[in-house]
Amino acid sequence: MSLSILAQTPLLTEQIPTPVVSWPALLPLIVMALGGLLLLTFASLFGRRVGTPFFTWWTVMTGLIAFGTAVPLWAQVQGWDRRVLWWNPEQTPAGAFSTVGGAFGIDGFSVLLTMLIALAVAVCALVMAGTSERDGERHVEGPALLILSATGAMVMVGANDLIVLFLGLEVLSLAVYVLAAMNLRRVQSQEAGLKYFVLGAFSSAFFLYGIALVYGGTGSTSLVNITGFLADNLLLGSSSVLVLLGIALMVAGLAFKVAAVPFHSWSPDVYDGAPTSSVAFMASVVKIAAFAGMVRVLVVGFDTFAADWRPILQVLAVLSLVGGALVALVQTNVKRLLAYSSISHAGFILLGVEAASDTGTRAVLVYLVAYTFLVIGSFAVVSIVGRSGDGMHSLDSYRGLGRVSPALAGTFTILLLAQAGVPFTSGFYAKFYAVIAAVDAQSAWLAVVAMLSAVIAAYLYLRLVVTMWFVAPGDQTPAPGLPIPATTGVALVVCVAVTLFIGITPGPLTSVVDEAPPVVVEPPVEQVADAPGLDGLPPGLLDALGGGGAGGQDPLTVDPGGAGTPAGGAP
Amino acid sequence: MSILAVTEVLVAQNIAFAIIAVGVVVAGVRLVTTENVVHAALWLVVVLAGIAGLYILLAAEFTAIVQVLVYIGAIVVLFLFGIMLTRARLGEGETVNKKMRAPALVIAVAMFALMAYSLWGYFGSTELEVMGRSTAELGQTTAQVADTLFLTYLIPFEVVSVLLLAALTGAIVLARRD
Repeated sequence: MSLSILAQTPLLTEQIPTPVVSWPALLPLIVMALGGLLLLTFASLFGRRVGTPFFTWWTVMTGLIAFGTAVPLWAQVQGWDRRVLWWNPEQTPAGAFSTVGGAFGIDGFSVLLTMLIALAVAVCALVMAGTSERDGERHVEGPALLILSATGAMVMVGANDLIVLFLGLEVLSLAVYVLAAMNLRRVQSQEAGLKYFVLGAFSSAFFLYGIALVYGGTGSTSLVNITGFLADNLLLGSSSVLVLLGIALMVAGLAFKVAAVPFHSWSPDVYDGAPTSSVAFMASVVKIAAFAGMVRVLVVGFDTFAADWRPILQVLAVLSLVGGALVALVQTNVKRLLAYSSISHAGFILLGVEAASDTGTRAVLVYLVAYTFLVIGSFAVVSIVGRSGDGMHSLDSYRGLGRVSPALAGTFTILLLAQAGVPFTSGFYAKFYAVIAAVDAQSAWLAVVAMLSAVIAAYLYLRLVVTMWFVAPGDQTPAPGLPIPATTGVALVVCVAVTLFIGITPGPLTSVVDEAPPVVVEPPVEQVADAPGLDGLPPGLLDALGGGGAGGQDPLTVDPGGAGTPAGGAP
Repeated sequence: MSILAVTEVLVAQNIAFAIIAVGVVVAGVRLVTTENVVHAALWLVVVLAGIAGLYILLAAEFTAIVQVLVYIGAIVVLFLFGIMLTRARLGEGETVNKKMRAPALVIAVAMFALMAYSLWGYFGSTELEVMGRSTAELGQTTAQVADTLFLTYLIPFEVVSVLLLAALTGAIVLARRD
């Protein structure tokens, strides 16, 4: 027997097939992952000498370089006819494509969101630098975890395979759990980290179980294969139940990450307890990635099941819109208030996903771009008013802020008005497109609910504005001359500039977003031929699992004799 | 048809299976009857190693290696560390708590009944055609795992390493007291 094994050992001369990897397509990811690794390495070698400014500079540069490496990809997807950096239209075919055996997709949607995440990381790093400089913290782990977490987010926005999506989600979440618990001096921070971790692990398990059921129903985890399978086969009976259950569980998992009611209960506690600079990241990048995953899975992958998942999202959207706005009214802690307001924002973005259309996806993208800068800016202000120790977050701390620190109060006012959806700010267009998408998708009642909740939410933003400008300073109001750290100042200027720019001239953003629909592209054919079996498994094994599902065979019926099918599919 | 004499290979395989199975069962019984926690952990090593041997008999060498690496290499070592760090005197006069014997027995019997029922109900007396096939016909499972890992699942494989880096960094941040 041992001899026969030896005889079958492949000779070294045999060509080992490798997947075709388009390295430029993965460059933003590689930049981020390497950036995180090198930052940790440098910090452990020269950490004492270089200190926080270097970590911040490095993180910002990593984000900006990742942004830069995504530009040629955008040119390639859009098929520009001039050279952009290393992209040459004469050498590489234009258009959306997928790489590494179809695991990773490059389309307008993923490139645009990759750029957004890269910018968000840079801005969040600036905010974080401001607080750590003030509190005398010299840790490298914060910036390093920001970068690693954003790497996971970038994996998620490009994922064309449910397993890749899940792993991206885990990288993203694991780093964010730690970011939430980063402030070792505050016990609330530890509590927030633990809460987020336990509930997050639950939601990841839901998501993973959903993937397993979808695999059982369709025989694949790759969105390319799933869409192909669903187009060719009408699922009936038990296998359609499997897929429906799988979709429901995946929605639950992602709804947790975006903090949609009723999966929101963690977010006020975590936003309140976690360091404010981490919350800025949590509220922006985590939502970008989770909504990207939602659009990719539901709108692109399971559009044939839209009639089944749309009602779920409608319920989530209504509950988030109304629940978030109503509960926010009675909050006296500004961080909790912003947490509930971000739940309400999630409801608006869900309107776009729920529409299950190109208009809807456009609304999601516009909202994500606008919301990212709004929320980072808002939490940057909160991090400054929170002062050393990050503890002054009650509404009383904002009394009369307009008199003692007009610049800060003015910035916050612009950001809050934008969150309320006032015209000439980015928030107006974000809400506008979300409502348009709902009306287009024949759910006008949702649009009415959304507008009503926007009115309720406007009250709470205005209450905060009134507290800052028209109430006399109290004993918790920061003393005059509240210092704004230079880095946080830069971040605030960027956020306000983007908010006003989009609000006054939305044309550039909408034209970019119009060219960024998510698509699923099959990998080049010769690449598939190299891959073993349907989904990497030997055909015999697939038959035995009943997961092949080929030819409309009900995947649940397992034929014991099928286990004996000669597994000759090995390459 | 005798159990032992399907083909010549199977005779040797069945004898090896019998020896390993008896060893695993004996070790399993000692594992739950021994008084000493450390000895119990070491008996667990014997059980797990025996199961790894069974995997090799089934030509699933990759599963066997993973079994050794993960269960013996990581989990049992973790057990031993746990015992070492939580008990003051290692293996001296420490007896295992036996209060939970009855529920444990119920769970064990229920698990056995469930597995026996489902295996028997599913396969019954059908003989899998896999028996008696050479590795040439079955293909090499390790090679197939490797192909899948580095072709279809290349990106997930790389992302997992980033995940581990994030987890490691996070563990250091949270564990450090300064």
